[in-house]
Amino acid sequence: MKRISPFIIITILLMAGIVFALTVGQYHINLLTLREILILKLSGKTPGDDLMTPAMVLWSVRLPRVLIALLAGAALSVGGVAFQGIMRNPLVAPSFIGVTHGAVFGASIAIIFFSKSAFSIETSAFIWAVSAVLMVYVVGGRGINTLTTLVIAGVIISSFFQAAGSFLKYIADPYEELPSIVFWMMGGLNNVQWIHVGRASVIILTGITVIYAFRWKLNLMALGDEDALSMGVNVKSARILFMLFSTLIVAASSSSCGIIMWVDLIVAHISRLIVGPDHNRLIPFAAILGAFFLLMTDTIVRSLPGGEIPVSIITSFIGAPLLGYLLMKQNKQWSEE
Amino acid sequence: MQNHKMLEIDNISFSYRERRILNGINFSVEKGEICGLLGPNGCGKTTLLKCINRVLHCKSGTIRVHGQDLSKLSRGQIAGMIAVVPQELNIVFSFTVIQMVLMGGTVRYGLYGTPCRKDYLDACEILEELRIEHLTDRCYNELSGGEKQVVLIARALFQRPEIVLLDEPTSHLDFKRQHIIMEMIKKISGEKGLTTLITLHDPNTAGRYCHRLIMLNRGCVCHKGSREKIFHVETLESIYEMKIRIEHTDTGSDYVIPHPDQEKNEKN
Repeated sequence: MKRISPFIIITILLMAGIVFALTVGQYHINLLTLREILILKLSGKTPGDDLMTPAMVLWSVRLPRVLIALLAGAALSVGGVAFQGIMRNPLVAPSFIGVTHGAVFGASIAIIFFSKSAFSIETSAFIWAVSAVLMVYVVGGRGINTLTTLVIAGVIISSFFQAAGSFLKYIADPYEELPSIVFWMMGGLNNVQWIHVGRASVIILTGITVIYAFRWKLNLMALGDEDALSMGVNVKSARILFMLFSTLIVAASSSSCGIIMWVDLIVAHISRLIVGPDHNRLIPFAAILGAFFLLMTDTIVRSLPGGEIPVSIITSFIGAPLLGYLLMKQNKQWSEE
Repeated sequence: MQNHKMLEIDNISFSYRERRILNGINFSVEKGEICGLLGPNGCGKTTLLKCINRVLHCKSGTIRVHGQDLSKLSRGQIAGMIAVVPQELNIVFSFTVIQMVLMGGTVRYGLYGTPCRKDYLDACEILEELRIEHLTDRCYNELSGGEKQVVLIARALFQRPEIVLLDEPTSHLDFKRQHIIMEMIKKISGEKGLTTLITLHDPNTAGRYCHRLIMLNRGCVCHKGSREKIFHVETLESIYEMKIRIEHTDTGSDYVIPHPDQEKNEKN
């Protein structure tokens, strides 16, 4: 019997997930209403009085949130795949080598010292996330064994920004500033507006396109520096390119919806198990699976009866045990060999 | 006069920080020649191959292929001329054999390119030529040492180079596989006119399969020439710092073996 392609399965799941996410929530919209609103909106007509409320919920709240969940999920996963490829380590992810803690630090600085507007928080988070990775490259990008030093530099810079972030939390006003920092750190898509979708989509789609365009080079980078060099890849430039664009898309996701842990690591890992290490298949699959994973977790957190909880709590609850299970399974395979 | 020199190494030196590894290396390899690099551990054989492939950058000297200075060529241009078969390649991610071989053609795919149908068929043809077509979809990490070595040779051939650098291709193989791999290298080199530079530990293997030998010791070329010129007790004893005996057989081949006194000394 012919096996169904995992791409077909995940695409069907994603489509069904989008319809599900658009209909469920604190305000339920049934399928017929959804269809009617979408047809009216796409044909440029204004919905009648009976459809005013569901149309507003759908168009102003739910659709931008669904789109950001799809974009951020895809960005985090592709960022994870690219980082794992260039670092040749399936347990490396942007959130583990400084990007996330750089973004938290940037957001905290904006909340405490600047205008606290969404724009300044997002811009500061973005700039500091990119700065963190540049620092990792400056500290660890030299020497003979560059790869190991890069990972160590990632841990150093990450710890530094973690400490700096904790200091900012310590000096933050406990009534006004601290709750904003904590909420931002836990991640959430509840404040998403169309402007976020516009900004994030430009950066994320460009970044993913560039990473996908150079996918074959990423295959060679995953073999090792010397091998990639001897087959014609300029390793230094390629590493900078992948690090830069992966950081850009992860930072764009973090600046729109805060810190969402585990998606980058776990989706990249699972995708590699399903479609293999060839980035020609891995990148699109991880993008779709990541979009589906974050969409579903966000739909769960906003549909909970007791009120919404930060999405990072759910992604961590799912991600950590899942990775532990995969690790145990892998160890078992190794001990059997 | 027509120049047949494919690879020219002109007075190259290399140091890891303060430690001098290669010191004024000079030699050339002619088109289609199989040239063996011999010498004790740590004499700089692998470093020399890495310098030729420009994975490491020489402190001084020039390396020329077809008269072109390699330092003036791009990474892609060098990969178009020189392919490398590493001593051992352990990879983290489980690429299949066909994916590994296809990676050899990277310079032909262009900046954003990936292999097309024709590349796939060409890669399969090389696997058939090397009689490992049954491994096409197997995971590279699951192969034996000998199979991995043949896959790396297939990848180097798919790169379509003029020069192949092999770094101790038989070091992890049993007696039979050492012979199979070396016969394969000899056959391919002859059929495709490839210039081959190969580092080896065993002087007998080198003497049997290489047209010419280059002896390295303490980062310098100390002897070069044919097997007949190199296989002298004094020459080999000075390099390997041990007592050696050369056995002459009826077939006309000379074999290098440790001198019985050396074995006695080791036992004591």
